[in-house]
Amino acid sequence: MGLLDYLTTHAMDEDYEFVSERRQRAEARGEAIEKAPSRSRIGLIGALVMALFAVLVVTAAVQTSRNSVSDEKERRELVGQVDQARAQVDGDRSRLIALQQEVRRLQTRQLSNDTSAKGVLDTIKLLGMRAGTLPVRGPGVRVVADDAKGADSARNEVLDSDLQKLVNGLWEAGAEAISLNGQRLTNLSTIRLAGNAITVNAHSLRRPYVVQAIGNKDTLPARFAETTSGQAWLDLQREVGLRLKITPESSLRLPAAEVSLRYANQKKPGGAS
Amino acid sequence: MIAIIGLVVGVVLGLFLTPDVPLSMEPYLPIAVVAALDAVFGAFRAFLDGIFDDKVFVVSFISNVLIAAMIVFLGDKLGVGAQLSTGVVVVLGIRIFSNVAAIRRHIFHA
Repeated sequence: MGLLDYLTTHAMDEDYEFVSERRQRAEARGEAIEKAPSRSRIGLIGALVMALFAVLVVTAAVQTSRNSVSDEKERRELVGQVDQARAQVDGDRSRLIALQQEVRRLQTRQLSNDTSAKGVLDTIKLLGMRAGTLPVRGPGVRVVADDAKGADSARNEVLDSDLQKLVNGLWEAGAEAISLNGQRLTNLSTIRLAGNAITVNAHSLRRPYVVQAIGNKDTLPARFAETTSGQAWLDLQREVGLRLKITPESSLRLPAAEVSLRYANQKKPGGAS
Repeated sequence: MIAIIGLVVGVVLGLFLTPDVPLSMEPYLPIAVVAALDAVFGAFRAFLDGIFDDKVFVVSFISNVLIAAMIVFLGDKLGVGAQLSTGVVVVLGIRIFSNVAAIRRHIFHA
């Protein structure tokens, strides 16, 4: 506590006492060493220092208030920009969907006129369903995968590799279209861990993971169990307690995925092969 | 009396001129103000004690401000600017409080 004691007892600069003592001694000796104004009066220099002090305080206060005002303004501006950009993205997305629907409608109308075009239309539809750009419906299975009860570490949680195995096994078992938590899997889809969440088609998923697979609902579960992925999942269930439930469904609806190709181009007809 | 006039003149000057603080000096201004506050309260106490001296006031004021700014500057260069400013504020705060306590005793005789 020595420091605190020192601070409180020596709060005032010792120089004041020192100088006054020296002056008293000088007065006692009867000599007027300094022609200072009578003691304990504030002179012009003191007033000047007080003015300096006031300028300092006012400047600091003005500066602080100015800074806070500009900070607040900047923050509000940024919030406004973010809101604006978000609204723009929303508008663009809904416009994109409307345009896609329009394209599909026009395609259908244009191609349904003659019979040769009808074949092309059917091919487009089939390709769209296979590629995942068209919504599909049909019988299949619903698979719910979840972490072990009271999961606390990566050991007893569903990992991206587990979901990859599950989906691979379903493809192998004869599934024709698969969606994962409402995200349709296409040939461009990835299932990967990004941060703490498993991400599919750049959307983060949350447990429980619901896989919908269209295919033969009677043979899919059995054939899945025979695949190596099915075996791996059986092990996972037994060893670390992951939960997996497969239920046959007579009708499933899978949404379309948003797929846009930016670099891949079709070869020009007539070009060198 | 002359001190209060000086104070008022300073406030008016500060408000009218609103001097622009260079960006490099900005972090040291608040700590300089606290140091100046300490010097002013110390001077007021000395005034009430009857041992006030102009020269001591000027020297203590300027050295307080400069040393406080220098400590923060040094801390900034060493990467402990925030901690050192806290230390300076604590020490000066304790001094201000005990000075104000002494002033209170003088004024209210309590």
